[in-house]
Amino acid sequence: MRIDPNPYPDLLAEVAQTQQQVNTDEQEIASGLSVNEPSDNPGAAALLVENAGQTSEADQFERSIGSIQGEIQSADSTLDSVTTALQQAISLGTEGANGTENAADRAAIVVQIQGIQSQLLNLANLTYQGNYVFAGTATQAAAYVLDPSSPSGVTYQGNTGVNRVRVGSQITLQTNLPGSQLFSASGGNVFQSIQDLITSLQGGNTASIGTAVTEVGDASSYLSEESVFYGNALNQLTSQQTYLASDTTELAQQETTIGGADLPNVISNLTTSQTSLQATLEAIAQTESTNLFQYLK
Amino acid sequence: MSSLNASLATALTGLIAEQGAMQVTTNNVANVNTPGYSREDPVLVTSDPVAIGPLTFGTGVTLQSVESIRDPLLESQIQQQTQSQGQFSTLASALQQTQANFISSTSDIGTAISNFFDSINQLSSDPPNLSLRQGVLTAAGDLATSFNTAANNLSQQQTSLDSSVVQTVTQINQLTQQIANLNQQVSNLQNVGESAGSFVDQRQQAIDQLSGLVDVSVISANNSLTLTTANGVPLVTGQQSFQLQTQITPAGLHDVYSQGNDVTSQITSGQLGGTLQARDQEIPAIQGQLDTLAAGVANAVNTVQAGGFDLNGDAGTNLFNPPPAGVTGAAASLSVAITDPSLIAASSDGSAGSNGNAEAMYDLNNQAIVAGQTPTDYYSGIVFDVGNDTANASAEQTASSSILQQLNDQLASVSGVSLDEEAANMVRYQDAYQASAQVITTINDMMYTVINMDTLTV
Repeated sequence: MRIDPNPYPDLLAEVAQTQQQVNTDEQEIASGLSVNEPSDNPGAAALLVENAGQTSEADQFERSIGSIQGEIQSADSTLDSVTTALQQAISLGTEGANGTENAADRAAIVVQIQGIQSQLLNLANLTYQGNYVFAGTATQAAAYVLDPSSPSGVTYQGNTGVNRVRVGSQITLQTNLPGSQLFSASGGNVFQSIQDLITSLQGGNTASIGTAVTEVGDASSYLSEESVFYGNALNQLTSQQTYLASDTTELAQQETTIGGADLPNVISNLTTSQTSLQATLEAIAQTESTNLFQYLK
Repeated sequence: MSSLNASLATALTGLIAEQGAMQVTTNNVANVNTPGYSREDPVLVTSDPVAIGPLTFGTGVTLQSVESIRDPLLESQIQQQTQSQGQFSTLASALQQTQANFISSTSDIGTAISNFFDSINQLSSDPPNLSLRQGVLTAAGDLATSFNTAANNLSQQQTSLDSSVVQTVTQINQLTQQIANLNQQVSNLQNVGESAGSFVDQRQQAIDQLSGLVDVSVISANNSLTLTTANGVPLVTGQQSFQLQTQITPAGLHDVYSQGNDVTSQITSGQLGGTLQARDQEIPAIQGQLDTLAAGVANAVNTVQAGGFDLNGDAGTNLFNPPPAGVTGAAASLSVAITDPSLIAASSDGSAGSNGNAEAMYDLNNQAIVAGQTPTDYYSGIVFDVGNDTANASAEQTASSSILQQLNDQLASVSGVSLDEEAANMVRYQDAYQASAQVITTINDMMYTVINMDTLTV
């Protein structure tokens, strides 16, 4: 059988093919990725797009949690301060209800409670990064303003809006409670109770003072119940942070599994390809014209 | 009765025939590296014998013809495979360039989509924050830019492929003209019974080149050869070539015409077929998908914007300039409609601190707003399609190259010049020539003996 007398095209094609494999292996080793362009593995490339989207989303959720965590912590500790102030008012009111106190003593107590009233107004007008935290979604104006014409002494100028922020692909978290629900709700009106306490102390009727103290106590209890919201929110955020950290790690592992280079295997392939390339080149060198003409002298 | 003169004439035919055979070997050796050359064989036949009386004497040898050694079946298979190779090589190369737009980077469309929606999520944690609002506008601009860049790259590639169509048609016309000319020379020689091996080789090589450019069907009859495309578009009939023309379309691309008919869609193979496939099918399909994605995202975001309120408490206006009706060109023209960050309608109740509408906008990221899929899912589908088409074209190219190489090896084993073989032939012809020469010398001696017979007699 007659054979192809010119082996060079085949050998050169083999060199080109092996060189291409060497290049591919080197690129995988350099990038650490087995999928450097979509055609390397179309299915894996599509999965990597999804993975990148999920990773970006998880990173963003972590940033969002970081942003809202500060505001919620601030609100939570502010409500603690409100509760403490109310406890002080209760103590002072109880003292004022004592029959041994005279009018001057009660007047002094009123001054102290008015100080607490002012403090409460400041606390209810908490701002975080320029936003009034307890104004509902009307965060650009103070939640409460002094209003002598109001029975409680203040007027709520926020709204009842609440915000929810997505902190997980399936989880949104309410981030605020409006002041009207915390400080001036019908079940426990902080400002009204303090105003009533001041009025009763000024009237000097111990029974009325006692009733007002009870009203402040009720408002404090109500506020404590409502404050649980922020504690729960913080717990949820912490829990979600833990989940997202684990999710991010898992996504990174998936990314490696889908598109990461199997380095030991690639390095082994590279060695094989380089050996093959060298062998092919040597074969070409040895294929130098050995033909009958050389022997005809 | 034979004569010395007859023997001399017979020996002379040997000298002449071996000289001719040697010439063929010389030509083979000279063309050992000539692309497309088919080795030639001298066809030696016995000269007609003569009958003298009761005896019949041979009259030597005749070099009847010089035959090119070729395999028409293999040549036909090579033409077909060359067409496939040309098509997939061009297509794979074009798609490699196309997929560069979809390689993961910090500015690819998938990343830009994620960044845009992430910026909205970030805004929802502090809706009045102007820095975060500016961040949304910046991300929206980056998203528009990534769409614009990819769409423009695809358009430029399409334009480049269109130029290639025009150039390829020019090459095809040159080759068909060349083949028609060679047809005439082959025909002229074959009609007078002469060997046209060299011209046939040249013609075959031109046909192979043409096969790399366009799908070619070869019909050979009566010393003439007709070429058409696989769909019957005439290219060469005998000594006449049919030139292809290009005409620009309203879309700014060139269609291919033959005899006044638009044959663009009939060209399916070769480099031209691959170029047309990339220009008219692959790239428009990807452009269409990008347009759908861009329009889907822009329309959905604008709709949510319209349902909310900006920082001033006014109803939201378009965040993106509305995509064109029918979505064609949406990716190329996507742009941000507002420059004032306060106009982002994050609020759902008109108050500045509300984030309800920002959350609704963020939720679009996970809603089926683009042809029944989420934006990321749809984009990953594009990446898959581009990668898959590129991988398939590359695989086809590799396969056709491999088959073509095998076919070329097979043809070379039939038609290729072997220096060993030629050296052996050279020795053979040289020996035969020397033998014939020796016969003539001997006859000469015999003649001398005859002529000098009287002087030799004592």
